[in-house]
Amino acid sequence: MQRKRLIFVLILLSCLAVYSSLFFGITQMNPVHLVQEWISGTTSKAGLVLTNLRLPRLLLGLLLGANLAVAGAIMQAVTRNPLASPQVFGVNAGASFLVVLSLLIFPSLGTANLLYFAFAGALLGGVLVFSFASIRGMTALKLALVGMAIHLLLTSLTKGLILFNDRITNVLYWLSGSLSDASWLELRIVLPWSLAGLILAASLAKSLAVFQLGQDVAVGLGQKVTRIRLLAGISVVLLAGVTVAVAGAIGFIGLMVPHITRRLVGEDYRIVLPVSAVIGGLLLTYADVLARFIAYPYESPVGIVTSLLGAPFFLLLARRQMKGGLR
Amino acid sequence: MRRKTWMTALTLLVLSSLMLAACSGQAEQTNEKTRTITHEAGKTKVPEKPKKVVALEFSFVDALDELGITPVGIAQENKTDVSGLLGKDISFTEVGTRQQPNLEVISSLQPDLIIGDFNRHKGIYKQLQEIAPTIILKSRNATYEENLDSFKTIAEAVGKTKQMDDRLALHEERLQAAKKKVDPKDDRKVMVGVFRADSLTAHGETSFDGELLEKIGIENAVTKTAEPTVTITLEQMVKWDPDVIFMAEADPKLLKEWKDNPLWNQITAVKNGEVYEVNRDLWTRYRGLDAAEQIVDEAIQLLKQK
Repeated sequence: MQRKRLIFVLILLSCLAVYSSLFFGITQMNPVHLVQEWISGTTSKAGLVLTNLRLPRLLLGLLLGANLAVAGAIMQAVTRNPLASPQVFGVNAGASFLVVLSLLIFPSLGTANLLYFAFAGALLGGVLVFSFASIRGMTALKLALVGMAIHLLLTSLTKGLILFNDRITNVLYWLSGSLSDASWLELRIVLPWSLAGLILAASLAKSLAVFQLGQDVAVGLGQKVTRIRLLAGISVVLLAGVTVAVAGAIGFIGLMVPHITRRLVGEDYRIVLPVSAVIGGLLLTYADVLARFIAYPYESPVGIVTSLLGAPFFLLLARRQMKGGLR
Repeated sequence: MRRKTWMTALTLLVLSSLMLAACSGQAEQTNEKTRTITHEAGKTKVPEKPKKVVALEFSFVDALDELGITPVGIAQENKTDVSGLLGKDISFTEVGTRQQPNLEVISSLQPDLIIGDFNRHKGIYKQLQEIAPTIILKSRNATYEENLDSFKTIAEAVGKTKQMDDRLALHEERLQAAKKKVDPKDDRKVMVGVFRADSLTAHGETSFDGELLEKIGIENAVTKTAEPTVTITLEQMVKWDPDVIFMAEADPKLLKEWKDNPLWNQITAVKNGEVYEVNRDLWTRYRGLDAAEQIVDEAIQLLKQK
């Protein structure tokens, strides 16, 4: 696609996403009234809903979507594996597990501190999958199998924790991924960590482009492979961990978006990463708007919507891999 | 050769145990008189005077207690659940949690009646039925009337309909007395909400406590819900705008986040200082006749404060 046309389409989609996320929902809103209100300096309930719930929710959706997409893109580049993503890599499940565990042990921890457990869990899941999958060389198939196994193991441990503790039963709702509790407070907690992860990712963009050519080529071109892997890992843990801590395990965005992006703009990671971030943010925002209407007037977890979109995509991808010969 | 002997032995063993099981099954049926109880999962032949009853929900334990029967096995999550429910200590065997009852323990008790919950246990109905005659009734996420029906069915199953009629008459009398204490002109709408770590569960007008309060003239703010209880967000809370909030189990995390939000102060109940903390066990977990009467009394008392 021509670059200009792509930029135009993305801007159009962004405007639409902003509008629908701000004005669609259980509280009826009239943009004209809201502007009049704003000019006259009065605030109605709708105005408060807009500024205190919808706006942080929109920003959180954009940010977390970008986090997941960039984390997925990095993982796919470093492992040179099209199926890599925070979900397949057990990162989401690991973070969920430790978050639930910490909720159980320290009930009044608060979101800000939950983050550290989410980071530790993300690291745990990622390291487990990576170390098992890379025994005698990592292949797409092995990664998918090991990733699924670890994902299921950690998920069943999480479910076990929930089962035996009536008090945290409703964490199940959070587990399926949801933005419905978004607030400025959460955004403030998430923002610095997300920015750190995204900036780190951006600084790796050039190296990742070389990485895609293969480890030997990367070494040959003077890349410090171990260092880049380490930094990429840190970036993924930050991005995925912070997302799980506030919004639960939202699947498939990290898997889908990098593929869509590479089809649109090619393989250059200096372009792939920012475009992935934008598309990821938009996708999560649209999914969140849909989640408000599936069981209207009640909210559904946004994770259900992304899985609904993502599962067919995953199968399609697997089929194409199969045709191309699964390594 | 050796393998063959083993196989024969094994086959014999299986066959004989099957026959034994079949015989004992028949023996049970002919020895005792039974009555057929219609319930949520079908029809079950129940012995006329069941002595060893296993109850897998608190409201069933309460019902049995009201009818003068002490269950041999009860599912509970916390050690203090049953004593809190009945207001006294009884001796029984724990049979796992309500969510995950332990079938082995249940079968070791050799019960002659198992009472399970429609919401939680309909999936293991067949397995329970293999252990003992099982009836499945509505309790969790069911309405007040459905809970009353469950009480009636239990009384029928244990052959104590006379006690049931007396108890229900007393219950009705108590509710009528309570209703007189509610000012008919009072149009405050209440919400019963359970604050969990990450979400608020609202008990609407068809929930056990919602419908109960409606019955004595206290209106619920959460109407026309698909399910008796629903998970809601702060935005929905503001939209429904209850005049009074009965808050069960205030988990500090979510509540703190909501209180920090300027929208929280837009809720009428918060503006008027009518957010009351109530006991979660009593308001949302017990669901028995006794619990209902206590809830009504507490609600009236709290509403009188303003």
